[in-house]
Amino acid sequence: MNSDDTLRPLIAMLLVAMVLQFFPISGSWLHLKPNFFLLIMIAWVLYFPERYGIEFAALTGLLTDLVLGSAIGYHVLIFSISGLILIFFHRVVVYLQLIQRVVLVFMLVIMVAFMEAGMNSMLDKPLFLDGVFWLGIISALCWIPLDKLVSQFYSHQN
Amino acid sequence: MLFGILLLTLDTYTSVFDISKTEVSKVIIPVQILSNFPYQVKDWVSMNTTSRTQLEQKNVSLEKERLILLGKLQRSAELAAENLRLRQLLNATELLMQSVLVTEVIGVSPNPANHFVTVNRGKVDGVYLGQPVLDEEGLMGQVIEVFDNYSQVLLITDLNHALPVQVLRNGLRSVAEGSSDYNQMSLRFVSPTVDIQEGDELVSSGLGGRFPVGYPVGTVSSIIQKPGEKFMDIKLKPSAKLDRSRHLLLVFTLKDGDMIRAVNEQR
Repeated sequence: MNSDDTLRPLIAMLLVAMVLQFFPISGSWLHLKPNFFLLIMIAWVLYFPERYGIEFAALTGLLTDLVLGSAIGYHVLIFSISGLILIFFHRVVVYLQLIQRVVLVFMLVIMVAFMEAGMNSMLDKPLFLDGVFWLGIISALCWIPLDKLVSQFYSHQN
Repeated sequence: MLFGILLLTLDTYTSVFDISKTEVSKVIIPVQILSNFPYQVKDWVSMNTTSRTQLEQKNVSLEKERLILLGKLQRSAELAAENLRLRQLLNATELLMQSVLVTEVIGVSPNPANHFVTVNRGKVDGVYLGQPVLDEEGLMGQVIEVFDNYSQVLLITDLNHALPVQVLRNGLRSVAEGSSDYNQMSLRFVSPTVDIQEGDELVSSGLGGRFPVGYPVGTVSSIIQKPGEKFMDIKLKPSAKLDRSRHLLLVFTLKDGDMIRAVNEQR
């Protein structure tokens, strides 16, 4: 499987993530909507760290900034840090069971929520930490089909 | 990471990315329409599965509501004409009257920190920047971006939004600011000595010329007075259903001459 073989499904996934991200949800539930771009970034960096590394994490962050209308650079920074952590631990992570990877994603989503809260605090914006536990749970559940899908590409690759 | 910090600094302190954000908004609108598709299907299904009896009941109820509103309208037309005559006698400043255009929400901001919606009216419908937007309960926000067939509306609860208001009971003026919470706004610079209480209704004051006078904005939900603070911490509950309304009204303002004609036409 060459680079083009993974590029097309990746772009398709990003488009689906964009549609899901815009799916209208009532205000109080909006905080519990997972960041689908983050989940896609985690999946691809986790399975293909050589091809989709820190630059990919930063680019996904940039796309997230443009789609969500947040300050440009906000998600670039957060996704880059998350990507770095994933790349650092990836040799361990690839040997984990699915359930362990789900727990990892849960922790990573909560860590990202706290990073966002820290940046919001610096930018004098609301923190949005209510329901962060449930956001982690929902994101981890959404990550299961994504993990299965990307692991298919990983199996084809090897 | 340095790249992220650089971009964030540039975006926070300069306006270099403003044009690219507008261009991206244009690209994103079709995605918003696509995301809204399941809701349109749901509306279509519910419309096509409603029984004849239900439709008849709804029709009777709407007819009753229409008669009540027509009765109220007769009284308000008379009051509007009287108000106009009195203002002319007093040489008061020009009076504004509004006409409205119904529009539908086709997309909402996916970011909980940004409160804006996309509506299906644009330049071709005469929508303009800064145009006030209402729902059936009160003020929703103002138009911040206009495309040919779509517009973006900044809601009054957005953190960057401020709106001049007055207390309906005694005319006390203040500024209502958004707090990134659809159910809460805050009042700025209200001294502890002023007459304001929980349950007071606030309407737009018309100061600043952006929003017309007298539209419901919210109700005072809590007043906290901390010892030693110069101003009170006052929270409002917005009147408009900011996270639920799907059909909104774009307000077009007609000036004095048009108003006199409109009042005469109503007679």
